[in-house]
Amino acid sequence: MAPRKNSVERVLNSSARAEASEDAQETEGYTFCDGCNEIPFCGIKFHKKGDVVTRIEPWPGFPAGPICSKAYATLQRLYHPNRLTYPMKRTNPRGSSDPGYVRISWDEAYDTIVGHLKRIKEDHGPHSVFFYVGDPKEPRAAVQRLAATYGSVNYGCESSTACRRAAQLAELLTYGFPTMGDLPTEETKVMIIWGTNPAYSGQPFMCHGHLADAKERGVKFIVVDPRLTPTAGTLADIHLRPRPATTAALAAGMMHVIFKEGLEDKEFCEKWIHGIDQLKAYVKNFTLKKVERITWVPAQKIIDAARLYAGNSPGGMMTGAQGTTHDLNATNNHRAILMIPAICGNVDMKGGVIKPTYPLDEMAGPWSAGPPLFSMRKKMTQMKEHRLDLKAFPVWAEKFWEVQTNHLVEWVKEGKVKALLGWGLNTMIWPQTHEYQEAIASLEFSMAVDYFYRPWTHDYVDLVLPAAMNYERLAPFAFFGRQLFGRTSIKPLGEAKEDWKIALDIGVRLGHPELFYNGSVEAACDDILGLWGLSYEDLRKNQQQGIEIPAKGPELYRKYETGDMRPDQKPGFVTPSGKIEAVSTVLEKYGYPALPEFKEPMKTTPEFPLILISGSRLPYITHSKWRQDAPWLLELQRDPQLTINPEDAPQRDISTGDAVILKTPYGQMRVKAKLTVMVPPGVVGIMHGWAGANVNELIPRQFDPISGFPPYKEVVCEVAKD
Amino acid sequence: MARYGILLDLNRCTGCMTCVVACKQENLTPPGVWWNKVLELESQLPDRITYFRYACMHCDNPPCVGACPEHAIHKRADGIVLIDKDKCKGQGECIDACPYGVIEVNPTHSYFPGWELPFEEKAERHRRHPPGKASTCTLCAHRIDGGKEPACVAGCPSKVMVFGDLDDPDSPIQKKLRRSHPLLASEGTVPKVSYIFPENTSKQIEERIIENPRMLR
Repeated sequence: MAPRKNSVERVLNSSARAEASEDAQETEGYTFCDGCNEIPFCGIKFHKKGDVVTRIEPWPGFPAGPICSKAYATLQRLYHPNRLTYPMKRTNPRGSSDPGYVRISWDEAYDTIVGHLKRIKEDHGPHSVFFYVGDPKEPRAAVQRLAATYGSVNYGCESSTACRRAAQLAELLTYGFPTMGDLPTEETKVMIIWGTNPAYSGQPFMCHGHLADAKERGVKFIVVDPRLTPTAGTLADIHLRPRPATTAALAAGMMHVIFKEGLEDKEFCEKWIHGIDQLKAYVKNFTLKKVERITWVPAQKIIDAARLYAGNSPGGMMTGAQGTTHDLNATNNHRAILMIPAICGNVDMKGGVIKPTYPLDEMAGPWSAGPPLFSMRKKMTQMKEHRLDLKAFPVWAEKFWEVQTNHLVEWVKEGKVKALLGWGLNTMIWPQTHEYQEAIASLEFSMAVDYFYRPWTHDYVDLVLPAAMNYERLAPFAFFGRQLFGRTSIKPLGEAKEDWKIALDIGVRLGHPELFYNGSVEAACDDILGLWGLSYEDLRKNQQQGIEIPAKGPELYRKYETGDMRPDQKPGFVTPSGKIEAVSTVLEKYGYPALPEFKEPMKTTPEFPLILISGSRLPYITHSKWRQDAPWLLELQRDPQLTINPEDAPQRDISTGDAVILKTPYGQMRVKAKLTVMVPPGVVGIMHGWAGANVNELIPRQFDPISGFPPYKEVVCEVAKD
Repeated sequence: MARYGILLDLNRCTGCMTCVVACKQENLTPPGVWWNKVLELESQLPDRITYFRYACMHCDNPPCVGACPEHAIHKRADGIVLIDKDKCKGQGECIDACPYGVIEVNPTHSYFPGWELPFEEKAERHRRHPPGKASTCTLCAHRIDGGKEPACVAGCPSKVMVFGDLDDPDSPIQKKLRRSHPLLASEGTVPKVSYIFPENTSKQIEERIIENPRMLR
């Protein structure tokens, strides 16, 4: 991070340092990486002398591992001299070039927060305070509890802005359960990996090694991705490279072939798919000629992929958190993918796409959702009428208690939001970032909890609080299926506190010491662990191997036949029709297109002949964070790179390393070009999250009407030599 | 005596850079010094990107050893080639002698000028790299001596790398060894690191390196 010639630098220069006495013995500890912002995290075993972590390695036998470059770099991040270690408050008015940050005590910080919270509740009501958790996701459960207790239903997170939830919405509407698919099992004969690059994103459980093993034992792979990702490069028997945002058309093309050639599971389709005839009629119009024209995928490849997938049962699937939902047809594009395993009868079939039979009680979703009891889900649901997203995104509001945040700008302008409490808040997540920065700067009060000073966010808030890092946290513990793991923590550097502790402390000071465990993170964890008769101490006693809560019985399959899928024990899926919904009864109810329809993406023009994909990852960077957090990673790529196909470069006189202007109808920026076959001709790619080259300023504030997701992978653009 | 080596199945490599950073963390090499390196090799028609990880090949016939006027480089009995940082005077003959471009000279600057991070203060000898001296991959000799694999191998999420004793018929490295090839065999270096290249790329990759040896540096 370049030194800042202002108050922030002065505060940082007083940063705390870790000390260990010379004779300290080396001991071991265990924690999880928060590098990908995924939960549960990959396991790290660390070696320490006193409170100094000296060396790390993969946690042997841990379900998620081995660790990747980001996890290794958490060691350098932990002791980065620019780390925030003391609370700070702004002394210059918002909008000043220097916020005038000065170090303050935790007492002053908490008094300030609680003072504003109490005043705003009286003046404007509790729902005008927005609670937000970005990256890492770890604090979600504690912050949800804080929002609910304070009385605000308006809690949102990065998943409910632009990440996982749109795909999850499609899954809930279509299958009635959330799934990103599963790793291939011994039974699986073919896999379709659509719009995700597990070689880099790692989900689930750093799985590329498992996928490569599956390929070596003969599993066939279809990879759908416009980019020549390493997932496609190392696994694909067939690689389909569609034009971005044409997912539903490509899926319709594959289903057209499957139905035409009678390769579908006819019995399953008849019995378990709601709207199968409408779906058949719809995809009948998607002739291969038409699909090839829309998607750029050669007709023969579509035929080959359809035959390979439908002809080899059981077929598995892996989809991404958001690769297929960053466009204006997000929800229905993703629903279209889900219909392919469905018509082949692969849903809840061994080796196919599985709904776990016995998920851990009270943990129906991952941590990201928060345990319902602890997170006070009931209370949040009862306050639903006050949700700010209720009118704009009713389907979303029916399925999620987290608020879709993309209309924050309007809510602030209309006076509906007066304060924002943000853990891991990052304004660069939003399209037209500056509008959100201005909105936050115009609030009556805002605060952020983070590891580092991030100017694009913290220049606009009133308080910045230092968060303890992964080696210094107790909460949350991790779970994998029915396995639980705790972690050992060292003393936080300086006065940093773990995210949960900050949320609990605010709750205590709002007048709820019992509800917030008198500020004890361990007691809060114990309350949750009590569901299974456990405490954190039990996790400590079983540190390396964890604790498995036995399931009632073995995994079951085809549970829709037996009633083991639905809470009411009736056969069927957990949807209003009891079937997989090709025609979504919920979308129908609210007047949206109920079939997984294709919608023509933004049109290229002579002025903007290329399509821009943003949001795809580098393996060693997640969003904006690692670039300043750990030089071990920063030095792998120092500048924002625009990837462009070698075919598109000569006519623009562009070579690798050239400075270029990337321009969309909504904004422009200067970056460096890299010629690569990673992107197909006609498409350029850039990673998001570069301060100074923030691609989200080039994306319009237009949203998928169902999920509210922005078009990060659809916008047209042009590239010119600078 | 064992004869340690690494086999890389590049069919599995994704260029994730974990080996690169695992090595950084394990050995605390200075800025700009990578003991593990990854090249991205692209071709069109058909579109293909091959990720090529390389490091010291721990040659059985290492040209660096003879090139060093200070006799600072030696091959251990188990085949690991090591630079003695006390004897090294940083003249760079070894760098020129190595056809693989994997020896570096440690710079004077550090990641955080003026700051030594706590784990750097506590670093053992093998994690310290005096400026102006040559350094290269030690095959994590300190880990091997403690019965562990090199950090890059232990860290590889895609299980590209297999470590083992090339002379031990029961070593896991034997499973794919016969299908693997050393890089630049014509140099007579007899490397103990070998590769399985993706189909139809081995000749292409080696030709590109012979044509442009600087790409490795």
